[in-house]
Amino acid sequence: MAHPVENLSSIKLAWAVAWSAFWTGFPFKLIVALLLLAGQVHPWEGAGLVTLLVVSMPIDIWAVGLTARTVFLERLSMEIRGPVGVSLWWQGAVLGALVLGGAYYAVGTTVAVGQKVAAAIIALIKKFYPALPIAEQITLELLLWTIPTAIVLLVFVLLWLHLFGWRVKRVVVASGQTSSASFVERVRQWDYARVPADPTLVLVSFAGVIVTLTVVFWVLLPVTTPTPHPDYPLQQVQKASKPVKPEELINKTEATLKKAEAVLAALEKEKSRETTKGKSK
Amino acid sequence: MNAIFQKVYDFVDERIGLKTLEAKLMNEPIKGGSRWAYVFGSCLLFIFIMQAITGMLLMFYYIPSADHAYASTQFIIHEVDYGWFILSYHFWGSSAMVVMVFAHMSQVFLWGAYKKPREMIWLVGLVLFVIVMAFGFTGYLLPWDQRAYWATTVGVEIMDKTPIVGDFLARFLKGGPTPGQMTLSRFFVIHVMILPAALMGLAGLHLFFFRSAGPAGPFRGTTEELKAKTDFFFPRQVWKDIVAMAAVFMIICTLAFIEPVQLLEQATPDPGEYHPEPEWYFLFLFQMLRWKIFSGEFGQFLGAIAIPGLFLLLLAALPFIDRSPERNIFKRPIALLSWTVVMIGIVVLTVSAILNREFLD
Repeated sequence: MAHPVENLSSIKLAWAVAWSAFWTGFPFKLIVALLLLAGQVHPWEGAGLVTLLVVSMPIDIWAVGLTARTVFLERLSMEIRGPVGVSLWWQGAVLGALVLGGAYYAVGTTVAVGQKVAAAIIALIKKFYPALPIAEQITLELLLWTIPTAIVLLVFVLLWLHLFGWRVKRVVVASGQTSSASFVERVRQWDYARVPADPTLVLVSFAGVIVTLTVVFWVLLPVTTPTPHPDYPLQQVQKASKPVKPEELINKTEATLKKAEAVLAALEKEKSRETTKGKSK
Repeated sequence: MNAIFQKVYDFVDERIGLKTLEAKLMNEPIKGGSRWAYVFGSCLLFIFIMQAITGMLLMFYYIPSADHAYASTQFIIHEVDYGWFILSYHFWGSSAMVVMVFAHMSQVFLWGAYKKPREMIWLVGLVLFVIVMAFGFTGYLLPWDQRAYWATTVGVEIMDKTPIVGDFLARFLKGGPTPGQMTLSRFFVIHVMILPAALMGLAGLHLFFFRSAGPAGPFRGTTEELKAKTDFFFPRQVWKDIVAMAAVFMIICTLAFIEPVQLLEQATPDPGEYHPEPEWYFLFLFQMLRWKIFSGEFGQFLGAIAIPGLFLLLLAALPFIDRSPERNIFKRPIALLSWTVVMIGIVVLTVSAILNREFLD
């Protein structure tokens, strides 16, 4: 009798594991990428890329193992003996490298040939309809080469899923055992495997991680823009200083002094008058 | 510590019925259990709250006047501590909101969750979609650079083509023959006062209707399976929502780092070498309007007003046209095909608009 897993489509099984694993690992990789960016290291090149890839490995191994277990339990009612993450991850990675290599060549060729064919078709259309507007031409040309490219890409994705699904099935056949738990218990089992069961632990651990990451993030974050626009920088507005005209300045100062002298004389006069008044009293 | 906390809790509970509220909010049963597919609505709420916070922070420095808007935005980018990051977060947050609205609407459409008895949730959601797009349109003018000025000019000209109310709408928004101080003031008020108030009110109504009708649940699975998987909102759906919100937050931060906001030249009534273009989520419509079929006064009205208007009307009428109780998308080929064609159309036209740039010079 065939193993129950053989009745399941390889592509569907691989998709269920790989899609969930991708999203399970994604937030963790994003944290690393964000911290690298805050520290002004690009995660898509050089040391940043190496760091991200190295950190991604254990994350992916954990994510693949976790999601594979939940998928087996939910869809096949099977539990797996021993760890499955490493085994599935390296098989998926090797298959990925092989398929990606083929896809890189095939998609590149399809794009090049497709664009040439599209250009030839457009040239042919222009012979009969020279006034073909540019907007219509762009969309038509785009569709002509992207449709075959998308089909080729889809074929390679399906090929990888098929091969990975085949390896996933081998793992299930080799080390899977039917779970004795009821459907409700199995649902709880796989759901709790992905989501912490203790609400307090969820809140406390999440809050702790958020606080730590926030502190690290703000410490690394540049205070002013690290990428000012090269053509439109901030215009430094300087206060226009008044030009100094010596003659005007001297005249103004003399006038002020004269005014001050007059005020002083008036004050002295007033004071002496008050003194005289006081003596006469 | 726990005793003090308990006392405070009891004090508040006695006065406002905290326990009942908590039970209503957290113990809502989710048919078929928690799912990642249900996180979009919560994410939208989170993005809006973050937009409100970053928007308020920006308002501490932004001056909504034609003389100072550009300089104050430049000041935020170059001088204010972390101002560049807050502004870039706000900018990318608006794009994230549009993407999330599309994701949320797509999920509701594909899962047939707009059908009876959830028609009202769908209708209010559509109005919220229009409000989100209006947020993007009005916010785009505020930095007052060439990009902002000309995108608004093009947008208002398109609006002008609406029959009967078009002229009034265009004059009301511009406040004069050309965009200027009055336009900026009006867009600012709409962006920071009218739209947030409308969004908060309608989002509340949307949630109220959602809670009244209850979640639709998955479109597949036997009654026994769905019953077995049914769970409360807390803790598993809350956990999924929090993880999704954190991911959205980090994606927006990442975009703010990779492509921070950079202003072009200050707005002038002369476009010079700048080719006017709207924000990326309106590019598909902008490119469609370049087609020959949509040239001329009537063509522009057809492409800019009639077709999008009819599309929105069709979406509004959808729950009343599609009365079949079938929710499984794989058993609704017309719905699946329509959604695929619309999505591919939007992507192809957006990419076409980007490719079109090199033919403009």
